[in-house]
Amino acid sequence: MATIVNKYVIEQVSPMHNQNMNRLIDVLLEGDQARAVAEAMSLKNGGVEDERIIADAIEPAMGRLDAKCTLEQFNLLEIMLVGRAVTGVIRALYPDAPPAPSRETVVLASLEGDVHDLGKNIVRTIMTAKGYRIVDCGKNCPVENLVDAAVREEASIICISGLITSVIPSVREVVPLARRRGLTMVRVVAGGAALKQASADTLNVDYVADSVFDVIRYLEDHPGELS
Amino acid sequence: MNSLERIQAAVSFKKPDRVPVIAQVFGHAAVLAGVPLGEYVRDGELLARCQLQALARYGYDAVFALMDTSVETEALGSRLACRADSYPYVEQYALADAGELDRLAVPDPALSGRMPELLKAARMLRREVGDEVLAVGCVLGPMTLATQLMGAEKALFCAADEPEQFGRVLDFAAEVAVSFGLAQLAAGVHLPLVFDPAASPAVIPPQFFREFELPRLKRLFSAFKSAGALAGWLHIAGPAETIYPYYPDAGVEIANLDYCVDPLHARQILPTTCLDGNLKPLSFVEATANNIAAESAGLLETFGSRGGFILSSGCEIPPESKPENVAAMVAAR
Repeated sequence: MATIVNKYVIEQVSPMHNQNMNRLIDVLLEGDQARAVAEAMSLKNGGVEDERIIADAIEPAMGRLDAKCTLEQFNLLEIMLVGRAVTGVIRALYPDAPPAPSRETVVLASLEGDVHDLGKNIVRTIMTAKGYRIVDCGKNCPVENLVDAAVREEASIICISGLITSVIPSVREVVPLARRRGLTMVRVVAGGAALKQASADTLNVDYVADSVFDVIRYLEDHPGELS
Repeated sequence: MNSLERIQAAVSFKKPDRVPVIAQVFGHAAVLAGVPLGEYVRDGELLARCQLQALARYGYDAVFALMDTSVETEALGSRLACRADSYPYVEQYALADAGELDRLAVPDPALSGRMPELLKAARMLRREVGDEVLAVGCVLGPMTLATQLMGAEKALFCAADEPEQFGRVLDFAAEVAVSFGLAQLAAGVHLPLVFDPAASPAVIPPQFFREFELPRLKRLFSAFKSAGALAGWLHIAGPAETIYPYYPDAGVEIANLDYCVDPLHARQILPTTCLDGNLKPLSFVEATANNIAAESAGLLETFGSRGGFILSSGCEIPPESKPENVAAMVAAR
């Protein structure tokens, strides 16, 4: 499935310790799901443990994608393709059930009035691949439903994606409602084209992220208490 | 100079009597008039009246026969969810996948969906403003219409997985845009704005833009110019610097700069293209009039010696914006 778009998103990957892992990283960064799955299964069938494939190929590939995003060279299509390839590999390695999430629970939504979910879905894909447990409340989601989900799922993080400015009053309600519902430690992160025009203070959230990788960096730099 | 002459001067890098100001007031005109947004985008006469009221209030240099990003896709069979207080959105896309493209035919703008209402708005606006004020129409660029026909996620994966098939979708979308844009010109607009946020480098790689979007945009701007469009105006949001070098080749004569673009950088990349921008849209909601005045003054200072500039927002002025903030931008000229 090497495609005309994928060839544009290829980045030269510097040599790593393992040639086979290198090849898998390459095809993951090309966003080539079919070849990535084939490479991963070849490694697995050759006796490489699933955990090693994740640690030595998926994690470095995500790191390289993160680095590109930091350099503002990212685009949604590239992230979607890599995310899809990573998801495909994980599904192939764990056909019966995905590995248990190793990180905190995140509830995620676009708020009521906002029906755009491309950005939200990218956040879901990448954060799932990074080991977070994602509870996706969908688009056009009332604040009450989002906070209900955070309480029910014992989430420690709430992520809000927003493409239109008119949801900002609703964004401002999230933290107060979460506090009233007893989520005193929950961290609230906002992002998306409309919301990232605003400051965290303006939105009454803990952080405003430029990209999904910025969300992850923020959470890693500001660890909360696991619920 | 009247508004139209002022904008023509800016486009051709002649000296206008003052820098023109185009506030990207779309749904804000409805809010200002106390009209539900859901009605504004369905009724061409109402839309034109609201636009003219906003023009009378603010005194800027352009009016817009522009509804929302769902006009074309609705005309092609997508089902919309319509709400009283916000823009409609697609509930069910016209295409389940690109393979269904052959089912679709380029819609007749005089008969399809809300296109006739938009044309009615264009006729009314031009009749009222004549050649005093710029009357602007709007078509979706090919990439954006593709996402509105299939859904953004499906369209983007299709672009990656089935580039030839996706190219056919883009060709079709370009045909729709040409047809609709020419109808708008015939109805009286001075130019149709080409609105193409999905072609932003924030969404697709610049090389993809060059190979897939650029040839189709050329077709649009060439067709519009041949039909008498005052200028080719392209509106792509986000950090679009990497695709600016392709703009002159595409036939772009007015390039919209989003708020996140460094105006000095844009000046360097596009030395002979008129630029419009680039106040932060959210500032019209959240900031004070003094903030807007200061930001506007900064932009006027940046472009004072160069010309080829239209003071504007980086994207749509949000419907819920404070009127005093829009007025502050207009007063800064």
